[in-house]
Amino acid sequence: MERENTYNRRNTTVNEKICIEYIPQEDVRYPKRLRLLPGMPRGLYVCGRLPQDGCPSVAIVGARSASVYGSETARRFARKLAEAGVQIISGMAWGIDGKAHEGALEAGGDTFGVLGSGVDICYPAGHRRLYERLRTEGGLISEQPPGMPPKPGHFPARNRIISGLADLVLVVEARERSGSLITADLALEQGKDVFAVPGRIGDELSRGCLNLLKQGAGLADCPETLLECLGIRLDSEGDGTDERKIVLAKDENIVYSLIRLQPAGLDDLVQNTGWPVQKVMTVLTGLQLKGCIREVRKNYYIRTD
Amino acid sequence: MFSSVMSAAVLGMEAYPVQVEADICDGLPMFCMVGDLSPEVREAADRVRTALRNTGIPLPPKRVTVNLSPAYIRKMGTRFDLPIAAALLAALGIIPPEHTSGVLLAGEMGLNGRVRPVSGILQTVMLARDLGCSWCLVPEENALEGAAIPEVAVTGVGTLKELLGYMKDPRKGKARARTGGGWEDLSGAYSVDFCEVNAQEGAKRAAEIAAAGMHNLLMVGSPGAGKTMIARRIPTILPPLTREESLEVTRVYSACGLLNGGKGLIRVRPFRSPHHTISANALAGGGRRILPGEISLANRGVLFLDELPEFSRRALETLRQPLEEGVIQISRADGKYTFPARFQLVAAMNPCKCGYYPDRSRCRCLPGEIRRYLGRISGPLLDRMDLCTEVPRVDYQSLVTTGENESSRVIRGRVEAAWSMQRDRYRECGWQFNAHLPARAIREYCALGRQEERLMETAFEKLELSVRAYHRVVKTARTIADLEGEKKIREHHLMEALGFRMLDRKLWDGE
Repeated sequence: MERENTYNRRNTTVNEKICIEYIPQEDVRYPKRLRLLPGMPRGLYVCGRLPQDGCPSVAIVGARSASVYGSETARRFARKLAEAGVQIISGMAWGIDGKAHEGALEAGGDTFGVLGSGVDICYPAGHRRLYERLRTEGGLISEQPPGMPPKPGHFPARNRIISGLADLVLVVEARERSGSLITADLALEQGKDVFAVPGRIGDELSRGCLNLLKQGAGLADCPETLLECLGIRLDSEGDGTDERKIVLAKDENIVYSLIRLQPAGLDDLVQNTGWPVQKVMTVLTGLQLKGCIREVRKNYYIRTD
Repeated sequence: MFSSVMSAAVLGMEAYPVQVEADICDGLPMFCMVGDLSPEVREAADRVRTALRNTGIPLPPKRVTVNLSPAYIRKMGTRFDLPIAAALLAALGIIPPEHTSGVLLAGEMGLNGRVRPVSGILQTVMLARDLGCSWCLVPEENALEGAAIPEVAVTGVGTLKELLGYMKDPRKGKARARTGGGWEDLSGAYSVDFCEVNAQEGAKRAAEIAAAGMHNLLMVGSPGAGKTMIARRIPTILPPLTREESLEVTRVYSACGLLNGGKGLIRVRPFRSPHHTISANALAGGGRRILPGEISLANRGVLFLDELPEFSRRALETLRQPLEEGVIQISRADGKYTFPARFQLVAAMNPCKCGYYPDRSRCRCLPGEIRRYLGRISGPLLDRMDLCTEVPRVDYQSLVTTGENESSRVIRGRVEAAWSMQRDRYRECGWQFNAHLPARAIREYCALGRQEERLMETAFEKLELSVRAYHRVVKTARTIADLEGEKKIREHHLMEALGFRMLDRKLWDGE
């Protein structure tokens, strides 16, 4: 094959000694979910493991330039689903994809990245750490031969594998005409359920999801909704919600109640409480030390769960 | 006949004594100048000869020799025209030779005899004081600057004719000496004030803490959020310059020829905001004639670097040594120069390339791009920033409301109190402010109680502080305590300092 195998972008090519397996359609290990669908690749290159056919799996996809709200939601859903034994499929891209993988890995669950390049290429290069974790703790899958550089045309094609490997597709944040919507369309064609996380109206990043909801997609308000749809019941009832009972002082409670998943800035909090900056800052640091909130960027805070 | 007068050469920021000797004797008519002269000094011959003729004193057709000694110091600039003219007038016997002792002259001359201003007059007059000269003749425009040294009589000279008059009758000349204006407080010297800044409470508080301990401050925010507006107002909340500081600042500006308008000593704290295309040499100092750079011009004031990631890496790295030591040393082929550089660094930057990062409706930068953008600033430089704050975009409502914002004067009152606490505490130390506290002295001057120790222990683990970050937080907390007039650092001081701490690289990109 005389194709451009000289893809040498900085940091992208992984050493050549990693173990890559080619699994043709005839192989018993070839995912059953894909075998049943038309237009699936003749074989898959795999590094690490493949999703198990018997286990429920959910694909989480969304915008690459995601907001903090979207990233946190993706991570949270992935963690909760993985805790319930669901395999998380995504595309290892920046933003929602990467956060979904991270969430699943945090919960120690199974997670699989479907790449638009060869499985020996880490794209985007900045996801090197995630790439290594997926390779060792989960799996990397691609229909492209090893050494194939990431090309724009590959990504819509790999979306059909993402949706094909999943029983349910969750779109977290998407702009109008986003690649994630292609995945959602493909999922519907393949007869899978599509869920969308609602965003604020007016935000560009909510357009795609709100459109999906308008067209009849499932409303993903909490991970339990998805689990219900998959037919999974959480046996241990009520262990997640009230496990942590930290007593907050009155001041802390006031500030805490003003902080949600949308990052709240220092100045907004000063305005809403009417307190001097010194006091708000002190309370914020206190809450941070108690682990109730997290600083996502300088002087912007969100709740931790 | 032989004659000699005193003058001074200025190299870097220092003035060196130069004896200007003139000799007029029989021989072929010529004008000969010696003494390691740069071209502009050599040209003095033509300027002085013509100026003398136009004043009605033609040089006789004789052999004229002018020597500037010591010959091993390079003479640069146009400041030797006036002493050469005076030496010639003495050699011609027009000025009595005894009148040339104890006088130091410097100044440029036009062909019509008009005397023009030169740079470096303040250090020249200081040198005159050290040499025991009691009288200086300098260009009219520079007279007020020289008058800052009360031990020396400084007379401004407008034309060659005036020079002639003063030198013939020194009593008349000394009577015309300028006196420096009184050292009254010029608080209304700034055209900007903090009361013009609406909202931005976080950034204003950070600026106040930074000013109170001379801490370095980094502001992150979208374009148009008001980062520059706040930075420009930081000098207005710094206590006014003392006389010694003013002399130090004026010396730098004088050497660079940046004292305009003949206003004498600089009274307001410098605010320098060089463009981000600045070269490392322009920032640190250097050039063909070695002159102080922007960091020395910002001495005792604020150096504001807008668009920090756009500065060249080399330029930013030169800041590291002066930030630690308060001076910059420049070594070149012709010598070593030391310039003062005790400034407060205030930097501003956008959160990402397009500048709108948290607002995802406008910013489409990928996480990798944001990380690359922030990665342009080296870790060691970020390590030297004590405070960091976000400057958010202001909504219309708070923009138009004319609330009662605190004025610079009120804030400056608090900062002054904090400064005086530090002055008392560090009286016997080599530093003046909390920001300059060396790591070994932190235990002594920032002692923490048991409760406070426990808080910092939790913070160290929970917020994953580095050792450097830990020190910065404690120093900042010391300043916050000073602002409240507290002798001991309490928990809430530490907590506020933690809130304004510089984020670690890991947290830069929200990972």
